[in-house]
This record gives sequence, C-alpha cells and structure tokens, in this order.
Amino acid sequence: MTVGPTQSHPPRRIARTKPLVIPPLARSLYLTSLWVPLIGLGLFFLYPLALIVQRSFVQRDGNLGVGNYIDVLSMGHILGVVRNSLVMSGLTTLICVLLGFAIAYLLQRTRARLRWVISIALLLPLLAPSLVQALGLIFLFGRNGLISQATGWNLQIYGLWGLVISNSMYALPQAVMIIQASLRQSDTRQYDAAMMLGATPWRRFVDITLPNARFGLLSAAFVCFTVTITDFGNAAVIGGNYRVLATEIYAQVVGQMNFNMGAVIGILLLIPTLMAFYIEKIAAQRHTSGATEGAMPVAPDRRLLRDIPLGILGYGTAVFLIAVVATVVYASFVTLWPYRLDLTLRNYNITAQGGYGPLWISLIVSTQAAVIGTLMLFMLVVSQRRLGRGMAKAVYLLAIVPVGVPGLVLGLAYVLSFNVAGAIPGMLYGTTLLIALCNFYHYHSQGFLTMVSGIRAVPAQLEETVTCIGGNTLQGLRDVVLPIMLPTLVAVFFFLFMRSMVTLSAVIFLITPRLSVGAVSVLRLDQAGFATQAAAFSVCIMAVVLVALGMMKIALALVSRKPQVAQ
Amino acid sequence: MQLKIRNLEKYYGQFQALSDVDLDVGDEEFVCLLGPSGCGKTTLLRIIAGLEPYSAGTLELAGKDLSTVGAQNRGFGIVFQSYSLFQHMTVADNIGYGLRIRKTPPVERAAKVQKLMELVHLQSFAQRYPYQLSGGQQQRVAIARALAVDPALLLLDEPLSALDARVRNDLRLEIRDVQRRLRIPTIMVTHDQEEALIMADKIVCMNAGKIEQIGTPKEIYSRPRTRFVADFVGISNFLTPQLAQTVLPDLGSHAPDAQHLLALRPEDISVSISDGAQACITHASFLGNVTRLTVDLGETTLLAESHHSQGLKTGDRVAISVAPDAGVWVRA
Repeated sequence: MTVGPTQSHPPRRIARTKPLVIPPLARSLYLTSLWVPLIGLGLFFLYPLALIVQRSFVQRDGNLGVGNYIDVLSMGHILGVVRNSLVMSGLTTLICVLLGFAIAYLLQRTRARLRWVISIALLLPLLAPSLVQALGLIFLFGRNGLISQATGWNLQIYGLWGLVISNSMYALPQAVMIIQASLRQSDTRQYDAAMMLGATPWRRFVDITLPNARFGLLSAAFVCFTVTITDFGNAAVIGGNYRVLATEIYAQVVGQMNFNMGAVIGILLLIPTLMAFYIEKIAAQRHTSGATEGAMPVAPDRRLLRDIPLGILGYGTAVFLIAVVATVVYASFVTLWPYRLDLTLRNYNITAQGGYGPLWISLIVSTQAAVIGTLMLFMLVVSQRRLGRGMAKAVYLLAIVPVGVPGLVLGLAYVLSFNVAGAIPGMLYGTTLLIALCNFYHYHSQGFLTMVSGIRAVPAQLEETVTCIGGNTLQGLRDVVLPIMLPTLVAVFFFLFMRSMVTLSAVIFLITPRLSVGAVSVLRLDQAGFATQAAAFSVCIMAVVLVALGMMKIALALVSRKPQVAQ
Repeated sequence: MQLKIRNLEKYYGQFQALSDVDLDVGDEEFVCLLGPSGCGKTTLLRIIAGLEPYSAGTLELAGKDLSTVGAQNRGFGIVFQSYSLFQHMTVADNIGYGLRIRKTPPVERAAKVQKLMELVHLQSFAQRYPYQLSGGQQQRVAIARALAVDPALLLLDEPLSALDARVRNDLRLEIRDVQRRLRIPTIMVTHDQEEALIMADKIVCMNAGKIEQIGTPKEIYSRPRTRFVADFVGISNFLTPQLAQTVLPDLGSHAPDAQHLLALRPEDISVSISDGAQACITHASFLGNVTRLTVDLGETTLLAESHHSQGLKTGDRVAISVAPDAGVWVRA
C-alpha cells in the first residue's frame, strides 16, 4: 500500500493532459460567452480600424500606395494643424495634471472644509457634451459675453486659449479621479517610518507621495491627451481660426467627401495616442503598487501653509466650473443674450434641427449601448477568467486597445465600413443600433477595466465549492458571481448610458438627415446662431444624465446593501 | 478501499507537478497530505476533487473510474482556507445550499441543517450572515455546508491556516471528532506537521511532486524513511555512517550502506556536565518545557534537548550519550 519515492525517471514524453469533465451545458455557455464578445470586437472594432488603414493607402488613381500621405503632408497648412493640435493638447494635459494633482491632494489628504462642493463641481463637466464648456465660456467671455459686455474688454476667447480652457474643464474631472485613486492607495506606515528617520513633511512628500502617485499622474496625462486631441465639440464651437486635426478631418470627410484623405488624418491622429498608450502600458508593467496588504491609509491632516494655496486652487476651479455650467443654464432661460435678460421658456420650444427628436434618439441609443455593452463585457470577463494565462492576457490587451483610438477615428472608420450599399453591413447604417455599438466600443476599455476589477472580487474557490456541492454553471453564476458583481454591473451600465448621452466625436459621422442625436443638436443649434436654444438643449441632456446618475446611486445603494439580521 | 489512486502524474507544461502518485484512502480514514508549499499536495487534492486535469494515471472511487465524472457529479465535499461562504446568505442557507441544489424537500432540508448546526455548535447563529461571524465560526459553517450533502469524501484544503492558534487548536479536535462520528473518509492538505500528527490516521508526506513516505503519525515521526521526512517532521541531526561511529560509539545499529544517514532526534541525546571533556555547549535556547542545546563536538555540532533541572548553560563542557537503538538510518 505504501509507495516510497520512485527513482527519478529520465524525462519522459509529456503525457497529454486529460481534459476536465465539463458538462455540455457549461461548455457551450462558456464558448458562447467568450466568442460573442470577441466576434463583436472583431466586427465592430478591428474590422473598421483595418479598413481605415487600408483606405488611407488607396490613392486617387485606385492603386495602393502612400500617395494620400504625400498629398496630406504637402498640403501647406496640415503641418501647422498638427502642431496646433499638439500644442493645444499638450497645454491642456499640463494644466489638467498639475491642477488635477493639487485638487486630488486637497480632496484626499487634507481636511479642508466643504470638499464636497469641489467633488460636485467636478461632476458637472461629465454630465454634458464637451462643447457645453465652450458654450458657457462664450456666454461669459465671448464677443457678446456677459463679462465682456460688462467690462468692455475684448478677451479673444475664440482660438487656442478658449480651446485649452474648455478642454481642460472637460478633462480635469477625469484627471482628478485617476490621481485621487492613486493617492488613495497609500500606507501610513511608510510615512511613519520616514518620520522616525527624520524626514521633513516636504521630504516625505517628495520621497513617498510623488513616487507613489507617479503612475496615476502618467495615466491621467494619457487620458487628458487622448480625450482632448480629438475632441470635436469644443474645437467646432470655440476654436475660431485655430484649426486642429479634429475639425480638419471633419472638413475633409463631411465637407469635401474626401474619405481617403480623412483616413490619412485619422491615422495621423492614431500615432500620438498609440504612442501615449504604449508609454503608459510600459509604465504600468514597471509599476508596483506602493500599498501592500493590510495597508493603513494615510489619515488626512491640516497644515495651513499647504492647505490655503491648495484651497484657493480647488475652490477657484470649483467656482469656475459651476459658474460656466450655471451660465449655460441661465442663458437657456434668457430672451436675448446678453441684451435682454428677462426670463422666458421660449428657448425650450425647439423646432429647428428636428426639435426634441434627437434627444429621444439619444435615449434609445444610450439604452441600447448600455444593455448590449454591459452584457457583452460581463460575458467577456466571466469567460476570460477560465482562459490560460497567455490567452487571458491577449484578450485583455484586445479589450483595452479601444481606449487608444480617438472617437473621431472610430466614427470615420464606421462610416467607411458601414456606409456601403447593399451589403449586410450597409443595413446597419442609419440605425440607432450602429450608433449604440460605436459608442459602446468607444468606451469599451473603461467598461472592461471596471468589470475586471469587479470580477476580481469574486472568489474562485466559492465557485469551485458550488461545483463540488453539485451546482451547475448557471447556479454558480446566480449564487456566486452575480451577487458580488451586481454593483459593478450597475456602474458599467450607467457609465455606458451617460457617456453615450453626451459623446459627440464618434457619432458626428454616423448621423443621417433622418437620424441625429442630442449632442449633435446642440452643436447644430449653436452653429445656426441659436445659442440660447443650444443652451436649452444642453440643459435637457444634463437633466437626463442627472436623472440617470440619481437612478444609479439608488440602484447601487439597493444592491450593495448588507443583508440585515432577522433576530 | 474507498479511493484508489495509481500512477498519477501531472505536468504544467514542462514542469512535473506530480509524479507516480499512488494512494489509497479507506472508509472512515483521515488522511493528511503533508509537505512544504509547492510540493504538489494542493494540486493532488484538486485533482481528486475534479477541479484540475491530470496527465496520466487512474482514480477510482469504490471501484468506479472517476475520469469521466465531473467535479459537479462526484458528490465530494470541499472546504478551503478562505471559508468561501455566500456572503448574501444566512448561516442556515449556506449550510442548506447543497440540499437546495439537490431539490431536497424544505422540511427535510431544515431538519438536516438544524442537525448540522448542532454538530458544529452554531444553533444560535442560524439567521446570521457570514460577515457577522468570526473566522472560526465561518469555517465551521463551511464544514457543515460540505457535510450537508453526505459527501462520499471530504476534502479539506488547509482549512485551519487562516485561524489564530487557539481557535485552530479547538477546531482540529472538533473536525476530527465530527469526522469520527460521521465516518466520512477525509483528505486534508496541510503544511503544519503538528496538525498532521494530531489529526491524521495516515500521513502522506510529500516533497517536490513525489510521495516520500506514507504511514501513521507514529511511524512518520519515529521511523522516517528519508532524510526529507526526518527533517520536515520534527527536528533531526544527520550523521554520516563514519561520523556516527566516531562520535556515538555506544550506537548499536550500522548503516545499511554508505548512502544512508543516521537521523537522530534531539531528545534522544543525553547531555551531562563533564569537566575536561572536548564537547562544549555553544548555544542554549529556552523553549519553555525544555532547553535546546547546540553542542560542538569538534567534528560536528549536534542539537540536543535537556530539562531545566540540569541547569546547563553556554560554555559548559559536556559529554553526550545515546541509547544503543537510538536514531534511524534514512536515505540521504
């Protein structure tokens, strides 16, 4: 019965591993939930992207070659446009990271009063299409701006500075969120150890806080750069004569129907973002979280010399953000901005540009994107967990690539892929479903990462316990995965919904005369000279997003409520 | 014979995680898989559970081949180190989960759950949720949940490692007691030799994917067959045959061959003051019930144990002696 250690064999041919016995139901469920999202990524992300690359090499004479690239680069102004874009995004990124760090530090590490006001102010830009920032700035500082009129100054808000300010307002909340998360991962024991060694507060900040936040700062810079270099709304509203890539690509495609040239500029747009993406990934690999298990977070404290300057920056920013959005809301009720400021509801009687139709379409699109997206992402992360390490990593990389593709490029890619006659893809063009899919894949990465961190909280051993007790895959999903994932599902659902409500850069290419969305209406109304109606329409979008946000808060509170003891 | 494993092998790519594992688990037997981390003991348990594929070999339960039976249908109970309870279910619902899956009528289920809660002393906690229980209580729930379905085999994967010393001690005895009463064959993975010695009917000592020795706790401790076992379970001094002859002239046994070493437990060496002797105490550690001495013999150093009453201290010149039948010859 007892068998001692056998003499070691010479290395034998490796036996074929007998696969685990998995019931057919479980196997087919697993295969479906792996392949449906992957095929989705292939059809609605990789294929359009490949097509845009291919189209950029199709010359005017129909042959393949780099002719389009030569044409674009020899267009006298294009290098200037590229430079403009880089300068604008570079400045915006710098402002957002510096200001974002100050505000994140104020929120996370100090005990300044009324920090919640700042947190709420930072939510405002996320509620509306990006161009609402520009709209508000113009209402305040434009030629007919409230402040320009009152003071008689000519502030030259149209152009680079207007763009930088409005884009900074748009990107800042995202930067603060990322940096704040990295500041949250701290361990007070590191600070205690440094203090015992005699380090001053400043040294502790330089030697512990900054290195630990480095990765967060880099991620924030990446996000700010990517969202602003291709932002279309602000550029169209406040850019003036300062031409950037986003408006240029639109002019080429929609203005001159020059799809191949548009494709080339799209590829040019991909280069900086993919570079930033690559740098961030390299840094992420080197990054080891400063916090270890059982870490005690650093307790916020009070230090006037630090808190007063930080407070001025933080509250100043908050007041500015609130003022801009409040101005838009105010302007939406004003008869004739800024000359006749008596209140009216007339601006809400919108008949031009399809009236409120696009708002309903936005609602439909956003609901579709949220339902499809949440389901696909859930299927993907659940099945990804069962893959081997190599495959899981490949799926992970594929799932986060979309974040490196600017919305404008994705939108253009969709036009090239789906605005075709006859074929099956052509059937999708002009439907809300295609816009929903475009929005979903535009925000695929953020949703995926949220899902991944959600599923990490699901204990694999509890699933195995269910299997050993005799439960099948569906029972495992119902009793182990879903109860823990529910808050994540709610968060991802509303994230996709809210983003779909306000995004402009990708959908601007997908609208047709019969099918338009809310964010586009705001742009069109403003361009048609109905600035106050554009404001009214933005207020409606903000209201919808606010309602969604409130519903999310309620849903989250309901699903993450701890069961109470029935004594 | 309940469970019968023959020639089991497991590869992860080129790495051989288990080689030629043969193991039998009898009815009512409590078997401990003991070994350092990475020795393959958890892999073996997971293969038995059906949670991990294997490369070659056979697994049979009561004469029935297990290779075509999925984990879901093996009817085993499993308990992990991490408790792994359903956080959104009460204690009673957690314990009754397997019965619910088997569609046991509610009345019968409630009775069974009640019985199990009494068995693990949790009657008054039926309506609590896991987050309201201590670690030891949570692990009791996990054990009761595994037992609820009358498992053909109970698998325990380091169930006590996350608990603090006192709770661990209580639960060791409790698990053993429940296992004896219900007569369920059980396999437990542990890296804690004390736990294995206290709980097991049979210890399977593993190292680097191989079984080094199988035996009762007593056999494993007093008749280790390899150097690894003698070293991993308890403390041993190792002496080459030559060295053994020189420093321990009183020893009666002889090495079977030059590849063997004499494994000598510290408690088998008696130390006494002897002025002018060559051997000298270089270190004395107070361990509570005994004092552990490091004795420098010139040719080698030995670990020995003495009672405090002897009052030995660092620097003392001492003589050592052993009984003629002391020590075991083990494979190097």
